[in-house]
Amino acid sequence: MNDQTLDILKACLIALIYLFIGRVVWVVSKELRGTPLAAPIPQTSPSGPQASSTTEQKRHRRWRITVREPRGLSDEPFLVSGELTIGRGGGCAISLADDTFASALHARLFLREDTLWIEDLGSTNGTTVNGVAISSSTQLRKGDMIGVGGTALGVDR
Amino acid sequence: MTTALHSPYRQLAIGRRRAEIVLGLHVLAIVASGYVVLGLAKGPTLPPDLAFIAGAIAAMYVAVHVAIRRFAPAADPTLVPLIAFLNGLGFIAITRIDLARDTNFARIQATWILLGVAVFIGVLVVVREIALLERFRYTFGLAGVGFLLLPLAPSPIGRTINGARIWAALGPVRFQPGEVAKVLLVVFFASYLVDKRELLARGTKRIGRLHLPDPKHLGPLFLVWGVSILVMVAEKDLGSSLLLFSLFTTMLYMATNRSLYLLGGFGMFAIGATVAFNMFTHVQTRVDTWIDPWADAQGKGYQIIQSWYAFAAGGIGGTGLGLGSPDKVPYAETDFIFSSIGEELGLLGSLAVIATLLLIVGSGFRIAVDSQRSFNQLFSAGLTTIIGVQSFIIIGGVLRVIPLTGITLPFVSYGGSSLISNFAIIALLVRASDEAAHRRVAS
Repeated sequence: MNDQTLDILKACLIALIYLFIGRVVWVVSKELRGTPLAAPIPQTSPSGPQASSTTEQKRHRRWRITVREPRGLSDEPFLVSGELTIGRGGGCAISLADDTFASALHARLFLREDTLWIEDLGSTNGTTVNGVAISSSTQLRKGDMIGVGGTALGVDR
Repeated sequence: MTTALHSPYRQLAIGRRRAEIVLGLHVLAIVASGYVVLGLAKGPTLPPDLAFIAGAIAAMYVAVHVAIRRFAPAADPTLVPLIAFLNGLGFIAITRIDLARDTNFARIQATWILLGVAVFIGVLVVVREIALLERFRYTFGLAGVGFLLLPLAPSPIGRTINGARIWAALGPVRFQPGEVAKVLLVVFFASYLVDKRELLARGTKRIGRLHLPDPKHLGPLFLVWGVSILVMVAEKDLGSSLLLFSLFTTMLYMATNRSLYLLGGFGMFAIGATVAFNMFTHVQTRVDTWIDPWADAQGKGYQIIQSWYAFAAGGIGGTGLGLGSPDKVPYAETDFIFSSIGEELGLLGSLAVIATLLLIVGSGFRIAVDSQRSFNQLFSAGLTTIIGVQSFIIIGGVLRVIPLTGITLPFVSYGGSSLISNFAIIALLVRASDEAAHRRVAS
């Protein structure tokens, strides 16, 4: 095979390599734009008393979280839309400032299709559902009792 | 998990897997034409095993693709094509070196790639949720340290090859336990740091204007530092030592967002390295060769000088596959594979390798950012850091940017242990990526 032909083949090979890299960059840029992946995570809903003033019908369909223990902390249920974080920190949607057994960012409630799930966010004392400690994302059902630190939360809809 | 046919998750999965097929065809075209060009440079006819090689690559790619479709359908579409490209390019480079030296590394490498694909699929099947790994954090941590120190075990197990005691033999199989250890340790580091990130980020002790965390939380940091120094001194494995320490320091920084750890970590490594430099001759040799390879051009500096000549001979476009002389560089198939690519494919070829590695690192960090659980974030970022730092250490070493430390170029170099652990790393990233897609679409 003469040198000139080999040079042309080599140039083709390198062009092919850069075509591939260009194509990957194109896929990546498409991933970063447009697709649902690039959509921002919805902010946690303005939960608690304000949001609960919506119509009775809507309240009935949505998942609600009520503090059961300790009593008197909050009587109004928290409505779940998107996701809710639970923890001792002030930034959590369900903020348990006085519960020393809760971690700053303890657990997360989120909707998948129309089902409600909870996951522990690496808390120190763990999260329980109906008294059983959870190790991964767990689906919640109506009537379940969530334990976070020293607080018990009820699930209704 | 069953999801409705037209859910956003399903749509995303379909789009991503299509992109993976198209990119896979590109890779196949590149590797097959590379093999053809190499064959034509050596003789007038096409290489006889071309169809077999192309078929094998296609079959492995399809196996991985189908496994992802089945077990992690919405995972990132770029990772697998990128590693397939590096693997293919490495295979061609090794075949090329075999031709020049009449060795048989490419056949063995092909077997390792096949095993790596099996490990990839195995990891996807077994690790159905990243959180599973978190549960066994201490087991992984202990196993990681155990593997790291295994080469130091007495003679039937621990082996010294080429001056570094980084090998272990279990019966007839020899491997480098450090390669397995790095993956196991990322699991431990990530879960440990997720637990302790707040304690480590918020200083409780105050010295002047600095808030420092309680010393008792820093214990494990010093432990890792000690272990990595031990690896450097006792196993003479500078590369792994540097990798391990950079990995832990960057993960600590990512978990706490405090640059103090980055500065402190590298300060500590500098102190350790200085002490080791003054006490051990093998460390001195490496640094002396780095500063002035010409002082012993026929001896210790020979390898790096030959590598320079290789890059110089390559120029911009390279000599062309099969037309250089990569056999002039000792260990061209492992540590110095980058210089044989630099010689025959030139600056353009070497830049393509670096671009590919950067794209892998980019995809890894994108997965970390997309993940919503802290553990997944740190874990993916840690795995990505391994690939990035390891590539930097060896490419930097070969180009004399930093002192040369023997370590493999991920997916390109010849070497079974490294290939298999890197396949496992990508499988874990693929898993994390699918989880991130689930959560994003769900919320």
